[in-house]
Amino acid sequence: MNTFFLIMGIGMCLLVMLCLFRVIYGPTILNRAAGISAVGTKTLIILLIIGVVHRRVEMFVDISMVYALLNFIGCLVLAKYLERTGEV
Amino acid sequence: MIRESDDVIVRTVARLLMPFITLYALYVVMHGHYSPGGGFQGGVILAAGFILLVVTQGIDRVKRRMSQEKAIIFSSLGLLIYAGIGALCLILGGDYLDYGTLGRPLSVQRAEARSLGILGVEIGVALGVMAVMCAIFFAIFTPDQKNGRREQ
Amino acid sequence: MEVTLLIEATESAFKILEDARNHAAGIMDTTVELMAEESRVLRDKKCRAIFTGAQRRKTRFHNFMGTAIILFIFWSLLSGHFDLFHLVLGAVCSLAVSYLFHDLLFVNVRIGNLRTMAWRFLIYIPWLLGQILIANMHVAALVLRPKMPISPRIIRFKTKLETDISKVTLANSITLTPGTITIDIRGDEFYVHALSHMVADDLYGGEMEDRVAHIFMEGDHLYLQDALDAARIYETLGV
Repeated sequence: MNTFFLIMGIGMCLLVMLCLFRVIYGPTILNRAAGISAVGTKTLIILLIIGVVHRRVEMFVDISMVYALLNFIGCLVLAKYLERTGEV
Repeated sequence: MIRESDDVIVRTVARLLMPFITLYALYVVMHGHYSPGGGFQGGVILAAGFILLVVTQGIDRVKRRMSQEKAIIFSSLGLLIYAGIGALCLILGGDYLDYGTLGRPLSVQRAEARSLGILGVEIGVALGVMAVMCAIFFAIFTPDQKNGRREQ
Repeated sequence: MEVTLLIEATESAFKILEDARNHAAGIMDTTVELMAEESRVLRDKKCRAIFTGAQRRKTRFHNFMGTAIILFIFWSLLSGHFDLFHLVLGAVCSLAVSYLFHDLLFVNVRIGNLRTMAWRFLIYIPWLLGQILIANMHVAALVLRPKMPISPRIIRFKTKLETDISKVTLANSITLTPGTITIDIRGDEFYVHALSHMVADDLYGGEMEDRVAHIFMEGDHLYLQDALDAARIYETLGV
């Protein structure tokens, strides 16, 4: 079971790489924002998988909840900022 | 000046999420000795909740709950709680922040007094961090009155 | 002789009956008068209660208690420590938070039909999960084919939903379903990005909207509490 989760985690990391590509080479700021949001979501799952592997899920659930929350608020503030500066 | 968001989804979801975020922040503060977290982290989450409210509902409607003046009062209060508990330990004959000496006035054992003292200090830290974060955010996002400059 | 006696007796009996009836009518009249007085006072009191905002205070108290109870359940789920100290801490924290934010969780919700709503929402979730599963299969089949026969489009439709919360529920359900994303809600028009014909047609069919309207008792579904509220107000005003 542990190997299964380990492989899942590594696969998730590869998917994060794909999203990072869009963040770095994204033609517009919107692509970058969406890419950052997707990376945040995947990081959340990776955190949970790390928790399962280390058998401390209850601890990592707390961390991942905070991560999801900050990701949500960060995206919202970024969108508000872009709206204000009129870059979109 | 941040106005109310005109998107109904963001507004409603933020409204529904806000009490849970605040309660989660309090949970992080109170369970600092069992799970990751503590005063600083809890305070940051509290402040994040207020920032979410400001971003979605506009600064005017949040004024009632949290404003610059209130933030300054709360940050002083947090510092007062922290330093007060430390000084109380000093008065009771221990070192600064030596919670064990709090056991006698609270009539509990030394170990339990240490736990309670840490909890009190963490509440103070959380209040201070939340207030300072809010104050910084308000200072950045409210129009500069001295120069009469208005954004948007 | 006997006949006259009989007639007399009958007449006197009728007279007694008449007297009794008059008496009873008098008593009933006074009773009705008294009751009218009573009910007038009661009605005045009710009118005053409606117009001085006793109703509003009651609603606020209901909101406060409902928020506190929900938050306390959330705390117990998070905490996992069920000794007295932590439970008291949780109660204090949830009361404090609901004192601060009691007007955020429930807005424009009548507490009377909240239970129905919660129950219908719980029934709605498995249906939504099934729908998500079906759409997932569809999208996977679509993108795994080498030719990738997608036809992305932005569709617009008018909705019959009225309140914010129901619109948000519908929008989030649409976004959760793979292949469709809600872009914007303007007034009562939804702008949705759809990946193919099939999902767009599903959306135009409007089954999801119907179900959401059923949860929140809107649209063609009778708004029961509205009718009850109106009836009560009319009754007290005596219209």
